[in-house]
Amino acid sequence: MTSLTPSAFGTESAYIDHEISEAMAIYARLYPTQSLRFLFYQGKDPIHGKPEITEGAFTFRAQHLSPEYLGQVMRPGTHPDAPQITISLAIPRRPNPAEAQQTDAPWVPMRPLRRLFSVWPLGYEKIRYQAEMLRKKRRKPGRLNLRGQGWDHLPVPSRPASDKKPAILIGMHWLEVGGAEKLGFDTIRWAIEAGLRVFVAASVPALQRLQDKLPDSPDVTFLRLDRYLPHDKWPRFVARLIEDENIGLVHIHHCIPLYESLPQIRATMPWIKVIDSTHIVEYADGGYPRTSGVWSEFIDMHHVISRELVDYYRDNFQVIGKLRLGRMLDRAEPARELLAMNMMPGQDHLRVTFVGRLYYQKRPVVVVEALRALDKWAMANGVTLRGRIIGEGPFLNTVRTLLKRHGLTSKVELLPAGSTVPQIMADSDILLLPSNNEGLALVCYEAIEQGCIPISTDVGSQSEIVPADLLVPLEPAACVKGIVTAVDRLWKDRDFCDRQKAELQAAWTRIAADPTAQEILMPIYRDAADTTQE
Amino acid sequence: MPALNKTAAIIVTFNRSPKLLKVLDALNAQTRRPDIVLVVDNASTDDTQTLMEARAREDESLRYLRLPKNVGGAGGFHAGLKAAYGMGAHYFWISDDDAYPEPAAIEKLLHAIITFEEDHAWRPSFACSRVEWIDGSLCEMNTPRPVWDWPRFVTAAQNWPLVDSASFVSVLIPRWAVSEHGLPIPDYFIWFDDAEYTRRIARSYPGIFVPESVVMHDTPDNRGVNFGMIDDKSLWKFKYGARNETSFRRREGGLVNVLAYAYGVRRQMKGANIPKAHRRQIYGAILKGLSFRPRIERV
Repeated sequence: MTSLTPSAFGTESAYIDHEISEAMAIYARLYPTQSLRFLFYQGKDPIHGKPEITEGAFTFRAQHLSPEYLGQVMRPGTHPDAPQITISLAIPRRPNPAEAQQTDAPWVPMRPLRRLFSVWPLGYEKIRYQAEMLRKKRRKPGRLNLRGQGWDHLPVPSRPASDKKPAILIGMHWLEVGGAEKLGFDTIRWAIEAGLRVFVAASVPALQRLQDKLPDSPDVTFLRLDRYLPHDKWPRFVARLIEDENIGLVHIHHCIPLYESLPQIRATMPWIKVIDSTHIVEYADGGYPRTSGVWSEFIDMHHVISRELVDYYRDNFQVIGKLRLGRMLDRAEPARELLAMNMMPGQDHLRVTFVGRLYYQKRPVVVVEALRALDKWAMANGVTLRGRIIGEGPFLNTVRTLLKRHGLTSKVELLPAGSTVPQIMADSDILLLPSNNEGLALVCYEAIEQGCIPISTDVGSQSEIVPADLLVPLEPAACVKGIVTAVDRLWKDRDFCDRQKAELQAAWTRIAADPTAQEILMPIYRDAADTTQE
Repeated sequence: MPALNKTAAIIVTFNRSPKLLKVLDALNAQTRRPDIVLVVDNASTDDTQTLMEARAREDESLRYLRLPKNVGGAGGFHAGLKAAYGMGAHYFWISDDDAYPEPAAIEKLLHAIITFEEDHAWRPSFACSRVEWIDGSLCEMNTPRPVWDWPRFVTAAQNWPLVDSASFVSVLIPRWAVSEHGLPIPDYFIWFDDAEYTRRIARSYPGIFVPESVVMHDTPDNRGVNFGMIDDKSLWKFKYGARNETSFRRREGGLVNVLAYAYGVRRQMKGANIPKAHRRQIYGAILKGLSFRPRIERV
């Protein structure tokens, strides 16, 4: 592994030296024979290196010697006439403690609708919902990138021999919370277990706060391409990396420039196996599953984690045969026992919990509005309400303000993201999940394990785990109403409550019986470790 | 064989899973198996989806396109050809879910279209098979239409007459024809979509009829399409047929052509003593066809 967080380097000069050597290593691989001139600058932000590449003779202008200019380093070419490449890079400054803690500024409603939000938060949500529905309606289906199979009379590149230990390249969105990072880190661990060296690259420039969580192993290398390499240079870099490091397998987790490197890989190294994993159909156009589908002709296997994705690939790209469903669950040995459900009809208290990052996707404003409506319902029925919101994010201040405004501060507790979720679930009757978008929320799975009943919006693959009567509409007002109706029925109707409990447990068991991501991916990793060693 | 001959089979289906499975088995038994087999499901309500998904899990070349609603054969062939074009195939073999190709059917179509082009420099816009009914007789509804100089290249060794219209039962279409002329018209829903499409692509050069490529069309009976055969059960299809052909004739030949067509329809119905109520509905469909101008989608 090449680096930990920037703060891990004691002095600024040690940090800059380290970053310079890391950036130079990237370009030395990309341009092995050329004569390289590196111009280094002091960065103004802590994230991006703003790389600029000039091929050919370079002329200094005034702006090249700006006040941020640190100096230049030359790397001679392999022969005197080697072409000259000039690479200009800013060394990102080290993040300050506030930046290291939180990247997103607190959320504020968009300016023209601020007044509306202050008097009617749900109205604001409604408008946002309608805008989103309109975008979805207007979306166009993805068009497959075609891949010619070629003419078998023409020569095809063949795999060179290598004495290096076989390796895998894993491309991630970023190493931050909320980028499908759990599966990414799991795959890195599994690849090492399978006997592969692991090269990790992230596509989105960020502090990559989770890089400390990469396994502390000499077999893991995190390449800071996100900082120092423009996306259009990824394909050639990746091809060089594959060639130099005996990489036989590429695994893409939501990494756009790696998808865009596939033509280079397929044309120059057709023996490479490419797989990808996708998690959730999102945004108006489908998000990463759409990108994955568009590149399907270049990919050997798609790994997905929910049935919604199975249907998505089938309906949009007619892909079935090379799709594998592998749940993001651990195969517990011996099998886990489910606890009895906590909620009893007619009980005198109601414990409602929300767990999730406080981002728009989870609709924290709707959570607060639902808690407010549930409080009214509880008062009318002589029930004591206890709410808990576990999570952090840009909506934290908004949630706090709304709770105060609705007089809920004594009834609803705000807990930090690190709280012990299973324990809280075991002490909760209802889990609220009014998300705008979900794949299959693992938190529902955990809730059922702990005897907590999830009530969720009918989005993504939630219908796989939440019974139809506990699924509520996405439209914000209908969502709040649906939550109260579901709770009311669970509280009043014993048969209904028992039926929901039975259905939840049956869904949990059904999902637990599906193959796990590890079961799907490990054989491929082992195969790559064996094949590349032959 | 040319360097690039990736072939996609496109089968449109609706609630006929047993027959569809027989078609897929027949495709598996081909001497030249298509590289892609695309099943377009017009929102079947039987077990088609389950069966196709199970089969596709074992066979990567099998693609399954389930349409959200039944858009008729025309919509299905439109969607299928569009999807297969997007998959990069060089030839499209189009057929029905109840037509079973003999083992060499596709290979012979490919051979014929390629050989014809090599020998005569002209590029046939399609190649179609001999379609037989279950008793081995010619299937009436799938008879291709020859052009006036159909025997121009027919010899004892190469018996491939030129035709300008064929049905979507075992017809092989090269990629260039789709690039140049676009896709079948989905708005036709049913009937005449195949005739319109093959006549459209035949503007570049006619297609060829390849009698040595044989498929068996497993229809309930062996009847042609004639307005003298209208009954209560088939009236709706004839209405689509009348509307679509009128629209086509108006586009290609103008009002005089439509009048000639209407006169022919009238004669057929009168000759067969079709009830007047039915006749009125057919005339209504012809009138509709005058203002029906569906868009042709390009790729």
